[in-house]
Amino acid sequence: MSDTNRNRLMLVIAIVMAAIYLFPLYWMFITALKSGSEMFATPPSFWPSEPQRSTYAFVWESRGMGRYLWNSLIIAFGSVILITVLGVGCAYVLARYRNVWVDIGLFLILMLQVLPASLMITPIFVGFSQLGMLNYPRLAVIIAIAAKSMPFFVVLVRATFMAVPQELEEAALVDGNSRVGAFFNIVLPLARNGILVSAILIFMQAFGEFVYSKSIIQAVELQPASVGLNSFMGPNTNEWNNIMAYATIYVTPILAIFVLLQRRIVSGLTSGAIK
Amino acid sequence: MKRLLSSIRDGNGFDIVLVAFPLGFLFLMAGLPLLYNILMSFQEVDMFSLGTFLRPFVGFKNYQDLFAQPETWPILGNTAIFVTGSIAGQFLIGFGLALFFWVNFPGASWLRGLFLVSWVMPGLVVGAIWNWILSGDFGVLNFMLRETGIISGNIFWRSDPNYSLYAVIIANIWLGTAFNMILLSVGLASIPGDLYEAAELDGANAWQRFWTITLPMMRSTIGAIVSLGLIFTLQQFDLFAAITSGGPNNSSNVTQYWAWDLSFRQYDFAKGATISVIMIVFVMFASVVYVRSTRHEVRG
Repeated sequence: MSDTNRNRLMLVIAIVMAAIYLFPLYWMFITALKSGSEMFATPPSFWPSEPQRSTYAFVWESRGMGRYLWNSLIIAFGSVILITVLGVGCAYVLARYRNVWVDIGLFLILMLQVLPASLMITPIFVGFSQLGMLNYPRLAVIIAIAAKSMPFFVVLVRATFMAVPQELEEAALVDGNSRVGAFFNIVLPLARNGILVSAILIFMQAFGEFVYSKSIIQAVELQPASVGLNSFMGPNTNEWNNIMAYATIYVTPILAIFVLLQRRIVSGLTSGAIK
Repeated sequence: MKRLLSSIRDGNGFDIVLVAFPLGFLFLMAGLPLLYNILMSFQEVDMFSLGTFLRPFVGFKNYQDLFAQPETWPILGNTAIFVTGSIAGQFLIGFGLALFFWVNFPGASWLRGLFLVSWVMPGLVVGAIWNWILSGDFGVLNFMLRETGIISGNIFWRSDPNYSLYAVIIANIWLGTAFNMILLSVGLASIPGDLYEAAELDGANAWQRFWTITLPMMRSTIGAIVSLGLIFTLQQFDLFAAITSGGPNNSSNVTQYWAWDLSFRQYDFAKGATISVIMIVFVMFASVVYVRSTRHEVRG
C-alpha cells in the first residue's frame, strides 16, 4: 500500500472514531431540534424530520437564560481577572528561580490543586457564612473558584515563563531598566500568548462551574447557567428537547472558542501538565 | 522606607511582593478551610452553632457515628468501583487512541485535539446529555444495544440500583478519555525514534517493540496520568448531580457527592466535614504520587 493510500485510510478511520466519540454532542444538537413527539419515537430518528427552531427562543424566554448566562459571565470574568492578577507574578517568580524554596512552593501549589471542590465547599461555606460573605454570593463564588483554579493557572503560566530566555531580561536590566520595567516591558509581552491561553482555559472552567455556585448562591436571580440547568432537570423530566436546547445555547460559545483556538489550547495544556 | 521601596522596584523585594500576595490568598482561601475542615470534624455542628467558632468539642464521635451508619461502607465501596472503573476505561481507551494517532498522517493532530471538547464542556452539560442518552425507555444507548443484539430488554440505567453507578462511570469515561489521550500522546512523542529503528534492525516485531520500548519508556508518564486520573475522578461531582443524584437508595452515591449531600441537603456539616477529611487524605496521597512522577518537571 502506498503512503498516500495508507494516509487516506488512517484519516477515514480517525474521522469515524471522532464521529463515534463526538456522538453525544451530535445527539444534543439533534434532540434540541426535535418536536415533543419525535423525541420519544421508537426507533429514534437520527435526523429531525421537522427541525423546530422555535425551541431555542422558547427556552431562552421561559427559563430566563439571559440572566443565567449573564451571571455565568460575571463569575467567569471575575475569576479570570482575579486569578490572572494574582497568578502571573507568582508563576514568574517560580519560573525564575531554582532553589529549594521554589520546590516547596510548587509542591504546596500542586497539593492545593488536587483538593476536590465538593469536599472543600463545607468549610468554605461555613467560614464564609461566619464572615458575612454570603451576602455577596457571586463575589464569594469568584473567590472560591480563584482559590481552586489558581494553582492550575500558575503551573501552566510557569511553563510559559520558563520558555522566555532569561538573557533578554538580563539585557534589559543592563540597559538600565528596573526589575519592574523589565518585567512589564520585556518578560510579560513575550509570555502574553501563554498567559492568554491559560486564562481562556480558566474562563471555560469557571463558566461551567457548579458546586460552589449551587451551594453558595441561594437567590435564583444571581445563579449561573449551570445551576439553572440543574434546576431545569427534575428527577422525572420529559422535556428533553428543551433541556438539550438549553444545553446547546450554553455550550456553543465555549465550543466555538475551543474549535477556533484548539491548537493553542491543546499545546498550552500539555506544556504545563506533564513534561 | 526608601530602601524598601527601591527593593520592591528593583530588587528581590519585587519577587517577594509578587509571590506573597498569591500565596497569602491561597493560604487564606484554601489552606485555612482545610484546617477548619479538620477542626469541624471534631466538633458538634448544627444550624444553631453555625455562626460561632467555639462549638462543643466531641472528639472522635463524628468518625464513630459515621462508620456506624449502614450506608458508609457501601458508599466507600462505590467510590472504589467508580474510581477503578473510570480510570481503567479512560486510560485504556485513551491509550488506544493515542497509539492510533501516533501514526502520523495529515490531519492527525487536529482531529486528536477535537476529542478534547468533552473536557472543556461544563460537567453539568455532559451530565445532562448522558442522562438523556442513558434514559430507560427512550434512550439512544438502549436502542443501539438492542439493535446490535447485546441486550434484549431495556436497561434502566438511572433507576436500576444495579446499573446506576455504571451509568455515571460511562459518562465519566467519556469525559476523561480525551484528556488521558492528549497527555499520553505527549509522552509517546517524547520517545526517541531511533530506539525503534534499532529494534527494527534487530528484528523485533510491533508487539515486542510495544512491550520492550513503548511501555518502559512511558512508565513515568503512565504513573503521572493514573494519579492525575485518581485526582480528577475523586473531584467528579457534576455528573452525579446531573445523572443520578446518588440514587436510587445510595446505589450510585460516592463519598465526594455524599459529603456535599450531608452538608447541604441534610445540614449535617460535621459529618460532611468528617468525610471530607477522610477523602482529602486519600487525594493527598494520590497527589504525592503525581508530584513524584513529575518531579523531573518540578526540578526543572
